Formats: sequence, structure tokens, C-alpha cells
Amino acid sequence: SSPLQDIRNTVGNIPMEWYQDFPHIGYNLDGKKIYKPIRSKDELDMFLEKMENPDYWRTVQDKMTGADIKLTDEQVDLVRRLQRGQFGDVHFNPYEPAVDFFSHEVMIHPVTNRPADKRSFIPSLIEKEKVSKLVHAIKMGWIKPRKPRDDTPTYYDLWAHEDPNSILGRHKMHVPAPKMKLPGHEESYNPPPEYLLSEEEKLAWEQQDPAERKLSFVPQRFGCLRAVPAYPRFIHERFERCLDLYLCPRQRKMRVNVDPEDLIPKLPKPRDLQPFPTTLALIYRGHSSLVRCLSISPSGQWLVSGSDDGTVRFWEVCTARCMKTLPVGGVVKSIAWNPNPTICLVAICVEQSVLLVNPCLGDKLLYTATDQLLESYVAPEEERLQPVQWLVPSAEEQSRGIRLVIQHSKAVKQVTWHGKGDYLASVVSDNSNLQVLIHQSSKRWSQNPFRRSRGLVQAVLFHPTRPYFFVATQRCVRVYNLLKQELTKKLMTNCKWVSSMAIHPGGDNIICGSYDSKLAWFDLDLSTRPYQLLRHHKRALRSVAFHRHYPLFASASDDGTVIVCHGMVYNDLLQNPLLVPVKVLKGHAITLDLGVLDVLFHPTQPWVFSSGADGTVRLYT
Amino acid sequence: AQLTARFRTENRRYTVEDVPFSVPAASETTDLSHLINKLLAAGNVDHKYVEFDFLINGQFLRMPLVTHMEMENISTEEVVEIEYVEKYMAPQPEECIFHDDWISSVEATEEWILTGSYDQTVHIWSLEGKSIMTIAAHTEVVKDVAWVKQDSLSCLLLSASMDQTVLLWEWNVEKNKAKALHCCRGHAGSVDSIAVDCTRTKFCSGSWDKMLKIWSAVPTNEEDEMEAAANRPRKKQKTEQVGLTRTPLATLSGHTEAVSAVLWSDADEICSASWDHTIKLWDAETGNLKSTLSGNKVFNSITYSPLCRRLASGSTDRHIRLWDPRSKDGSLVLLSLTSHIGWVTSVKWSPTYEHQLISGSLDNIVKLWDTRSCKAPLYDLAAHEDKVLCVDWTEAGLLLSGGADNKLYCYRYPATASDVGA
Repeated sequence: SSPLQDIRNTVGNIPMEWYQDFPHIGYNLDGKKIYKPIRSKDELDMFLEKMENPDYWRTVQDKMTGADIKLTDEQVDLVRRLQRGQFGDVHFNPYEPAVDFFSHEVMIHPVTNRPADKRSFIPSLIEKEKVSKLVHAIKMGWIKPRKPRDDTPTYYDLWAHEDPNSILGRHKMHVPAPKMKLPGHEESYNPPPEYLLSEEEKLAWEQQDPAERKLSFVPQRFGCLRAVPAYPRFIHERFERCLDLYLCPRQRKMRVNVDPEDLIPKLPKPRDLQPFPTTLALIYRGHSSLVRCLSISPSGQWLVSGSDDGTVRFWEVCTARCMKTLPVGGVVKSIAWNPNPTICLVAICVEQSVLLVNPCLGDKLLYTATDQLLESYVAPEEERLQPVQWLVPSAEEQSRGIRLVIQHSKAVKQVTWHGKGDYLASVVSDNSNLQVLIHQSSKRWSQNPFRRSRGLVQAVLFHPTRPYFFVATQRCVRVYNLLKQELTKKLMTNCKWVSSMAIHPGGDNIICGSYDSKLAWFDLDLSTRPYQLLRHHKRALRSVAFHRHYPLFASASDDGTVIVCHGMVYNDLLQNPLLVPVKVLKGHAITLDLGVLDVLFHPTQPWVFSSGADGTVRLYT
Repeated sequence: AQLTARFRTENRRYTVEDVPFSVPAASETTDLSHLINKLLAAGNVDHKYVEFDFLINGQFLRMPLVTHMEMENISTEEVVEIEYVEKYMAPQPEECIFHDDWISSVEATEEWILTGSYDQTVHIWSLEGKSIMTIAAHTEVVKDVAWVKQDSLSCLLLSASMDQTVLLWEWNVEKNKAKALHCCRGHAGSVDSIAVDCTRTKFCSGSWDKMLKIWSAVPTNEEDEMEAAANRPRKKQKTEQVGLTRTPLATLSGHTEAVSAVLWSDADEICSASWDHTIKLWDAETGNLKSTLSGNKVFNSITYSPLCRRLASGSTDRHIRLWDPRSKDGSLVLLSLTSHIGWVTSVKWSPTYEHQLISGSLDNIVKLWDTRSCKAPLYDLAAHEDKVLCVDWTEAGLLLSGGADNKLYCYRYPATASDVGA
């Protein structure tokens, strides 16, 4: 450790621990061993030196030589600066002012004077190769350029695949705890006196089992809220509530989610159900008062209408030409053209009589044959007792077309023909058993089919093919078998007052209109209750009608409209009739609170006639 | 915007140079008409202003040019071929002939007008509206009338009535006397329509009893035997009879509803329209059904034009439909003309113009149509105050319409202004 001799170790940058067990520490320039200096100092000497040597703190051991070196002041200073994280060089200034060499301002001169590289102005071969590779890949369809960006956000349902039995899943099936009963009067600090227990009640309360008590406490009265003491059972109560919540099993009530739209049956669209009448085509003008009733010839060429002005008018259907006017001297309540195409006869209800009129329209042979048929009547030898009188009108009336008069005892309100055209039934406004009468026109013979009255008869009807007879009273429709002479069925209409009735040409379905604006459709095969009850009209129904061929029926109402419905009856017994309202026909003006009084279909075309209180008959096609 | 258009016409007098012109896209018929007139005036000094009507692909231009082309899907990029014709003049009202009752039918010739009325009479009028003859023999409403033959001395005419007969009359013009020659019996319903064939020796009648019957129109002195009349006393029949009884040559049955209109579309082809929604074509010689065109509404009236060989039908809805009677598939409607708002009761093709027809309707209006403009009629003749029941169009250009207001209106249809001068 003498500074005079140049001791330089040549072992290089190796861990000096390797020489720990050797007496030397390396080799000098001459290849001689450098021996470790003798360290003979013990702990005491070391301590003494530490205490006594003032330079001890700046003495370090050179690892390469093992000698002790005393650091100079500059070296100590350097160590201190490095420890503080400063630069070793005292004169280096790390905070020299920065020169903003590149700035946002565009300079007029280039930063460097370096000439531009050649590669900067010739196309890059590598890039060209890459591009051609991409182009080839696009051509081959390996990569798709400009793939449409998926705009759907990339979040997902965190709980989509969750196990409902897991803890989180049960949170989803959370069942809210039942609400606690709200405090009542008895819980009040100042309850009304009737809630306070009397002495006996208090005694009974105390003797009751705590589980049986109606109240878990005794209502008490305090003068003011300040006087209410602390509630001693608070903890108990909370605990019991927790027990309730914890122990009481709760179940989720499954609520059925039904869209009300799904419950409505699917109906076909009206335009798929054509043909049906849609527009007003003709107006038959001429009557001066309300037109109560309509009927049409079986061929569909002539229309007859009866009115309150005391006339019956015959119209040509296709031109609305009034061909004939027959004054009958009274309000015409009902009118019916004979449905038999070989007979030309119209039955007209005027006051107390039914007139059988030959309109003398159509085929000349037919109406003369009808006259001959009526003339060929031979009176029986013995006079039979009849409920009505058959009168032959005067010659003047004969010339007007009236062929026979059936004189009733009371006013007649309805007349209807049997399909064969010989029998006709009339309804008299009476409340005895003489309300319904059946007449045979060829034999001039009437009979009274019912022994006793079953209520006010509203309408009667013959079955088109079978020997059934329908009698509508206020609430129900009775079906009688004319051959067996017995009641076969009683249909309950669910209406308050039946106004009219019509039968499907197939004979198995009946519709009834009522004054409480309902239309009941009965399927005679199904039940005695209505198959459907249609409430389309706003006011009382006056008349209902079926079409003879097309699946159509119509109802006329006091609200001035005719509603045409599609009523398909299937031959298949398993399929129920399909009823679809298809058209509301307006046009009649409401006069005297009456709208449309009668409705009638053309026998062959999908046309409907309506007669109204405004004195017109309208044809809709 | 501008469009390039090339103008062309059939009329030699009004040809312009066949070069494309640039016209404003929004120009209407009047603008185009002015343009053509300017061009014509440039070529010919003494040219007078003429109104034109314009057709693009056979459709009349009724709105601005560009709107029309948009609606018809015609490209506005290319040169448009526009055909122009002289504008048809509005029919001029001439006469209003008053009747006592509804007029059910009308047929006119060059000299006389024949009308059938609901008061059971047949009237003959001069073209000036003077009543010449009233024939009353029917016991019911007269539904149709027809001329058979016209001479200067005597005319033959037919009247069909609701009393189930057709009467063949001889009208002596000089003496002004009408004599019922034959009473054609056989129908069991109102006879709604009659039509005389082109040889003027036969006629066909259609009736409410669903039958068509062919009769001879030649007057004879013999009476046909009536086989169905056996159940009546001979004497009684004689007394109520007017003219000699005639029975049909043939009966064509096949319709399931009333026959509303008949016509001869050819020398031996009968065409009939019925309430059973069909038009049937019959061979008049053999009486066989040749083909059936079926619609879906009741037919009121049909008419046939030998010029364009089309049937036009009026039915119980708002439309006039055009049919090709030769089409095999039977139910093809070529075109429907829609503007009426009531039933179309009567249609009649023009005897001289290929594209024109008139129609009468329950909405009180008579419309003059050109098939090249199917959305709107050429002219509305709104004179009637009630339902129009019959229309006719004579070769001399007279339009007639009768209706439920008891009036028969006559219109002179000069077609084009140049025809008036010609």
C-alpha cells in the first residue's frame, strides 16, 4: 500500500472472491504474485483506529490489491454528488436553454442539406410486390376488401349463459318479501276508545296462548307522544320478522303472458270474400212515406214495396222504373211475393186483411195461369168453420189486380209464404192463441195451428225444404214440426225483443235480429243457444235477410245502415259457420227516428235492397 | 329541363320535318300545339292555327309531358316519338226532343230517329226534332227498337217490348202510315234487345227468359203456325193480335240469366251479353256456342266495332271494358275505361272513328271516350237530369242519348275542325 510502487493487478474483471482462500490476490505486471497485505489487526485495533484515525471515514479498501486507500477531497466530493443523483462533472449544466429546432412553423430552408435519396423518388419494388400479392389475394377472393363494418356494438349479455341455480341466478329469481301490515288504529299511541281492551278482554288476552292472540300487544293510550315509553319488544319483533322471511317458503307465481291480439280468431279479409254489395247503384223514388216492406219476384226482375202512404209499388229492378202503383187504402205492414216461380202472386198485409194480388208482370202465360188457378176453386159443399173470412173482391178491385182478400179479425202484421207457394202464414197482433194462422190459397182454407198462446209472436217462417215452422216470440224462437204437430226445439235468443228472423237457404241456420241491436246466429245442429251474437249496429235491428245463393246475410237497423256479412256455412259438419262482417252500407236518412226498415237480397245477383223511413228504396251492388 | 322529341302525324297536311326538337319537359298539349303551329306557319304562310292533341305510345297526353312519361315509364333520356292528331272538337248540342215518358232505346239513320219509350210507343222523328210518327201497339214498355230497311218509299222497322213480342212494322214514308206486318211471338219474358244482321233479312232478339231467338225479317203474307197457342181460343187470339204471327227460326239457349244485349258481330256470328256475367258468341247458322267471355258483373250493354274488332261492354259497375272476341282464353279484358260513377247502361262504338265510343250511365252523364285515353274521357256530355238509358252514334256523326228525364239529346260531332270545312 505504498504509493511509491506501482502495484497493478492483472487478473482482470473477475470476482475477487476466487482469491479468497489464497495468500495472494493476483499477479503484477511481472507475473509475480501480489500478496495480500498482512491484516494483523484485531477487533480492538480496528476500533482504536476508528476512534483515533480522523481519516478513517474516507479510507476504503482497494479490492484489487487489498490495500487501504485514503480518498482525496475531490473523490469524496464526487461520491457525494453521485449519491445525490447529480452529474459527476461540476461544470455540466443540465438546464441549459432549449433551442426549439423543429417547430410548427414552416421554414423556408430545409433542415438538412442532405440530397434526397434515390429511393424516395423511385417506386419501391418491395411495396409493389406486396401490393401485387394483395391484389392477387383480392382477385382470388382470399381477402375481402372493404368488409362492411359491423355496426352492432360489441357488448354482450353478461348473464346470457348463467346457470339459474347459481347464486346470481337466484338473484334474478328474486321474490320480494311480503309487505308487513301497516300499523292500524290499535297501534296508535292514542287509539280510539273502541280499540282499547276492557278489563275482561285484557284478562282473556293474558290467558290466551301467545300464538293464538289476535293482537301481539295490548293497545295502550298515552296522553301525548312524549309520554310513549320505549318499545321493549322491538328486538323480538325484528327477530320474528327475520324468522318469518327466512323460514317461510316463497314461490314465484307464474303470470301467463298472453297477447290479446292472439285471442282474436283470424278472419279472412273482406276483399277475399267478394262478391258482396259495396256501392249504392239505384234509388227507387216514388213513395211519399216510409217504406216498411220489400219483396222481390223469384226471377229478380220486379221488386215490390209497401209503404205507409197506403200504396204498393212494383218496380223494374234494373232501371228503378215504377211499373205499377196499387193503392190499398192502408198502411202496408208486410209483403211477400210468392216464391214459386210458376205462380205470380203477391201477399200484402193491409190492416186486418191479407190481399192476394196478381201484379200482371213478367210472363203473360204465367200470370194468366195464376188467375186460372185461383178461379178454378170450387167451394166445398159444407161450409167449414174458419178463423178468417175469404172474400172475393169487387170487379173494380179485380181489375187492379187484387184476386182474394183474407179478412182477419185483428190487424195483420206479417205474412210469409211456404216455399211451394200454396200455403201462407200470417201473424195477427193479438195475444190469444189466434196469433198465427196458416192459409192454403188454392183451397181458400185457413187453420189455427196453436192451441194456446206462448207470448207475443213477432215473426213466423217456413223451413225452405222440410216441414218445419218457426215462430219467434219476444225472447225465443220455437221450431215446430208440422207433420208430427209437435214442438221440436226452442231456441233461446238471449235478446230482449226479437224483431225479425231469416233462415239460411240450406235450412240449418237461422238469424234473428232484435230491437236491442243484436243479431243472433243459430246453428240448429249445434245448440239452442246462439252460435254467435253480433253487435255491429248501434240501434234496433229492423230486418235481417239471407242471400239465396251467395254466402251473404244482411241486417237493417234504425241507425240508418245496412250491414252485410259474409256467412259461410260448410257442408262439413265438423266445421262451424264462418261469419265475417264485410260492409256497412249507408245512404238512408234517418226520419222520425227510424232508419232502414227492410232489407232484401236479389235472388240471383249479389245485390241488396233496402227500404227506409225516408221513403226510398235503395239498391246496393 | 328539356326533352328531345320527334313529331310525326298521319295527316299529310300537317307534317313537320322529321328531326328531333328540344321541348321543355313541363310543356303541355297547348305548348306543344303552339310549337307545331309555329313550325307549320314557318313552312306555309297561309297556315291557320289548328289545335292538336298528342299521343305518346298510343296514349293521349293529358298532363305535363314529363309527368306523363314518368307515369308511363318512358325514358326521358332518349328521343321521344310524339304523334299528333288534330284535336277532336267538342260535340255541339243540336236538338232536345221531348218525350212523354222515359226513353228506353234509340236508333237513328241519316234521315230519321227511331225511339222506343216507356209509354209503350215507338216514335219516329226527323233529324230536326219534328215528330213524324207515333206507333202505339205494344201493351207494355218498349225496350228496344231497330231499323231493318230504309227506302224512300217505305221503311221496315222493329220494336221489342216487355209484352214478350217483337213487332215488325212497315212504315210508308209518303203516306206516313205504319202497319204492323208481323208479331214475333215465342219469348216468355220481356224482350230486352234486338239486333238486325248485315244482310237485313234476319234479326236476333234477347230476352229476360234467358233465350236468344233468330227471326226472319222478310215480310211475307203467311202466318206461321203457333204450336203453343193451342190452349187458347183461336178467336180471342185473333182479336188481340196485331200483324201476322211469326215464330223464330232458331232458338239459342245457354245463358243462365236474362239476356241484356245482342248484336251481330259478323254475318253469321251473334254476340250476346247477359246477367249471368258472361258474353257469349254464337254461330248464327248452326246455333252453336262458339266461345264465352266471362266477367264478374252483370252486363248491361255491349257494342262491337268492325273497325277495331273490339267489343265494349257496360256493366253494373263504373267501368267500360274492352274485349277481344277472338281471344281464345275467353276472359281477357284488354282495357277498362273508368270515369263514370254509376252503372254504365249503354255503350256504342263510333261507326267512323276506330278509337272512339260513347257511353251513358246512371250518373246522368254521357261520355265520349277515346280508347287511347282510358283514364279520362274526351268529353263529358252532362245534359241529362236523370238516368241515361240509351245512346247511339250515326255514321253522319250524330250522337244521341235518351234517358229517364224523357229527353232525347242530339249532338253533332264534327270530330275535327278541318272536317267541318271539308
